[in-house]
Amino acid sequence: MTNVYMPRKAEIVSIIPQTDIDYTFRLKSDILPQHGQFLQVSIPKIGEAPISISDYTDEYIELTIRKVGTVTDAIHELKPGDFLFIRGPYGHGFPVEDFKNKNVVIAAGGTGLAPVKSIINRYNRNPKEIKNLNILVGFKSPKDILFEDEIKKWKEKFDVLLTVDNGDETWTGNTGLITKFIPDLKIENPDDTIVIVVGPPMMMKFTCLEFLKRGIPEKNIWVSFERKMSCSIGKCGHCKINETYVCLEGPVFNYTKSKQLLD
Amino acid sequence: MILDIDTKLLKKNAYRVTKQRGITALRIRVPGGHLNIKYFDIIKEVAEKYGNGTVHITTRQGFEIPGISMEKIDEINELISPIIRGLKDEGVQIEDEEGGYPAAGTRNVSACIGNRVCPFANYDTTALALKIEKLIYPNDYHVKIAVTGCPNDCIKAHMQDIGIIGQVEPIYDPSRCIGCQACVKNCKRRVTGALTFENFKVVRDPNRCISCGECILKCPTSAWTRGEKYYRIVIMGRTGKKNPRLAQTFIEWADEESVLKIIKNMYDFIDKYIDKTLDKEHVGYIVDREGFKKFKEEVLKDVKLPKKAKVANHIDYTGYRYERNTIYD
Amino acid sequence: MGIELDVKSFDNALKILSKKYKIFAPVRLKGKGSFSDTDLVTYGEISSYKDIELSEKSRYSPKEVIYPITQTLFYFTEDEYKEPEIDDKGIIVFLRPCDANSYLKLDNIFLKNGPYEDNYYKRLRDKVKFFVIECTKGFSTCFCVSTGSNKFLDYDVFFRFDNDKITCDVKNDEFSYAFSGKEVEFTPEFIEKNEIEVKLPDIDKISQNLEYVFNHELWDEYTKRCIACGRCTVSCPTCSCFSMQDIFYKDNPKCGERRRVWASCMVDGFTDVAGGHSYRQKYGERMRFKVMHKIYDYKKRFGTTMCVGCGRCDDVCPEYISFIKIVSKVTDAVDRGESK
Ligand SMILES: Cc1cc2nc3c(=O)[nH]c(=O)nc-3n(C[C@H](O)[C@H](O)[C@H](O)COP(=O)(O)OP(=O)(O)OC[C@H]3O[C@@H](n4cnc5c(N)ncnc54)[C@H](O)[C@@H]3O)c2cc1C
Ligand code: SF4
Ligand code: SF4
Ligand code: SF4
Ligand code: SF4
Ligand code: SF4
Ligand code: FES
Repeated sequence: MTNVYMPRKAEIVSIIPQTDIDYTFRLKSDILPQHGQFLQVSIPKIGEAPISISDYTDEYIELTIRKVGTVTDAIHELKPGDFLFIRGPYGHGFPVEDFKNKNVVIAAGGTGLAPVKSIINRYNRNPKEIKNLNILVGFKSPKDILFEDEIKKWKEKFDVLLTVDNGDETWTGNTGLITKFIPDLKIENPDDTIVIVVGPPMMMKFTCLEFLKRGIPEKNIWVSFERKMSCSIGKCGHCKINETYVCLEGPVFNYTKSKQLLD
Repeated sequence: MILDIDTKLLKKNAYRVTKQRGITALRIRVPGGHLNIKYFDIIKEVAEKYGNGTVHITTRQGFEIPGISMEKIDEINELISPIIRGLKDEGVQIEDEEGGYPAAGTRNVSACIGNRVCPFANYDTTALALKIEKLIYPNDYHVKIAVTGCPNDCIKAHMQDIGIIGQVEPIYDPSRCIGCQACVKNCKRRVTGALTFENFKVVRDPNRCISCGECILKCPTSAWTRGEKYYRIVIMGRTGKKNPRLAQTFIEWADEESVLKIIKNMYDFIDKYIDKTLDKEHVGYIVDREGFKKFKEEVLKDVKLPKKAKVANHIDYTGYRYERNTIYD
Repeated sequence: MGIELDVKSFDNALKILSKKYKIFAPVRLKGKGSFSDTDLVTYGEISSYKDIELSEKSRYSPKEVIYPITQTLFYFTEDEYKEPEIDDKGIIVFLRPCDANSYLKLDNIFLKNGPYEDNYYKRLRDKVKFFVIECTKGFSTCFCVSTGSNKFLDYDVFFRFDNDKITCDVKNDEFSYAFSGKEVEFTPEFIEKNEIEVKLPDIDKISQNLEYVFNHELWDEYTKRCIACGRCTVSCPTCSCFSMQDIFYKDNPKCGERRRVWASCMVDGFTDVAGGHSYRQKYGERMRFKVMHKIYDYKKRFGTTMCVGCGRCDDVCPEYISFIKIVSKVTDAVDRGESK
């Protein structure tokens, strides 16, 4: 009988600090996930945590992990050459095949950028796959900005709008919530535009509403949920909302579905 | 009318001298505070026929029937003989069923409602009260005993010469614990904070635990269950004029057999050390005079305490004396 | 055809079977009830007829037999993951039809929900032989007929316990060797009417009116009444939720284990996520979540009601909250809401 809880060992090749508390861990791995899928990452005797795959190639995967508690604290202590234990990938990612030749808008708040970063990099490598990409990213403050180098790179090819809720003396960029910028966003043909929204629950809710106001059809909007998860394989019940298991049917949901996930 | 009455005998017979000449009041004992309803008819009859139609519920859980003419005592004693017989049937040593109560010095053994009704109670308090009653009654020595189901001490065992408080050893099965922490939170909030949560399991500090058993009640999975029954004995609490004070713990983790034996031995101690020149001497003052060490030696004679039992080395009584005057500006 | 047994021949059968099987049944644990001088009726291993307790409903269900409260998934030595061995004996469970059906409900979660089978569940579940206890009277809070869990025909052996007269129907020939006695006419019976009848809500009607049911005021009173103790879910034979725990041993921090432990959607912490956020903070919302799982969500997913109508949730609630009453209220609300 295969043990579905048995993780495999994955070596940490490099660690890239993004902020004081967010580090990107690059692991040797040949997993080829869907964009938006996640892993269960563990350290024996400490515990497991579900973590989105923030990027991948056929040689490595990247996880961007915020230090918030027992497991993530312990992961932050690790060094290149150490091992993490992983199982997965789990859940359903973004149906990128359906996004081909469309206008794509990605709105990400904070660590919400992690699960969509691999999509952005995919388009960065193959810009022809879609008509046009618009990126909106928001962080709490300048010191919370993740993937600064990559954002710079994206700016060369795409429209990128970076904003912080509150700036500081040195900040010269945009300030304000992402929702502030949606009314003025250039959206040529709403029916032909795919919108991806990922971030904290409140951010997702209001951002989606703004896009609906702009005439984007509900079925064109995609979101990613974060729920407490213990098993990630539909057994433990923690992630359930109504008859939906976020770990199985999600974490990525179409808006037509996600609006029915009452809690 | 000539009234020539031996008040000592009257009192011994559970009647009292009242403020009204020639009028007395009778105290009905209710060991363990639980009475068969059939005796109510008798109490009612006495109150209606001989008393003033009222009955007072005493602090020791008896009934006091006031307004009785002293001349009627014999008649009343005959009337209440079924109650006395009831005691005898329970095993209390009584010779003359028709003569009323044979003694009143040792007071009614009172009890909280106990586990016949109360979910917190760790044992059947009424049953234990009856066992004690059997052991010590009739007796003229002035002794107050009460038994209570758990450390909530609803019967106020801490105001007695001997108070018996139910204990239970909580037994923990970590494999049944789901880590809900209901027990931990409750012990912190309502008891002594003896429980902590470490490594997803509960740890009990036996030195803080007062063995009340609340954790067992709170546990949804029966990870906590009941171990053996034990009793904490608190001694020499009292109200009264001289030096009111709460009783202090003498023994923890005593078993029923030791409890009974210790109570029995206490009567021998009283017998040996009581100041016979006085009209009566309350056991608490005897212990004050003779010292705790002597008391301890005497009452523990031939007592086989369980292994777990802990006996106090010394007791610091607090309480207060009026002459200290410290509470006034 | 059935076989008539007396206590001696029944005990003898148990003895024979115990060589190859661990045998579980409802048992009475003296003095182990929460209150002093009360007993706990629960599932435990038995070796003779007198161990089986049939006069009272068990407080806990037989789910513990195949889904233990605490189950070690891995032992860790340094960085090795080692799966714990299990006993190679089979498992016989004496259970009533409602509880037998509850195993099928657990199967849906552990074996059929999502792409993977839960191997820890499966390895115990595969061993189970159903020794079904005839139950024609039930208890005062049972409503198995309403949930359609009063029958269980897929038994290995079926038993009628009539005082000390025992009749059994051995359906699985594997067990014929253990039972010998007089052959008698025997047709297993199932309860056809409980004291309580509950109308379950129509799930299509709920689907069409989901927000109405979710935001209905009927849930509000439970925010005040429920104490979120989790007893209802712990005693429920169909609740299957768990949390993972990793620990290292105090005396040897290099070693430790990963285990799973039952969890409850009624108890604090069930939905805690990083940042101190949690969902369904009001107990009324948790009540809605639990009740809807039992009578709606699960049925939508698996086509069968999760609740088997054993009534344990009503029996154990310290606040006298009746699940049965809530179900009726939901049905009522749905019917009324729909007619509006
Ligand atoms: C699908 C999914 C994808 C995620 N992707 C990422 C990611 O890419 N990067 C990242 O940094 N974080 C991600 N998270 C969140 C991450 O899983 C939690 O921060 C992590 O589990 C906390 O574990 P801990 O042991 O460090 O903290 P703990 O000590 O367990 O607790 C810290 C806090 O986190 C809560 N928590 C515990 N377990 C979970 C859980 N499984 N999910 C959410 N909160 C939890 C606790 O209740 C507590 O409030 C993701 C979560 C989900 C469900
Ligand atoms: S018995 Fe009472 S004091 Fe002891 S741990 Fe339990 S709740 Fe706390
Ligand atoms: S109440 Fe019971 S299950 Fe909950 S933490 Fe305490 S022992 Fe564990
Ligand atoms: S919800 Fe209640 S009645 Fe239904 S199976 Fe669970 S415990 Fe039994
Ligand atoms: S009712 Fe709650 S505890 Fe029970 S299975 Fe459903 S989610 Fe899990
Ligand atoms: S048993 Fe009763 S009080 Fe406890 S969680 Fe369930 S409904 Fe609420
Ligand atoms: S995380 Fe366990 S069921 Fe979804």
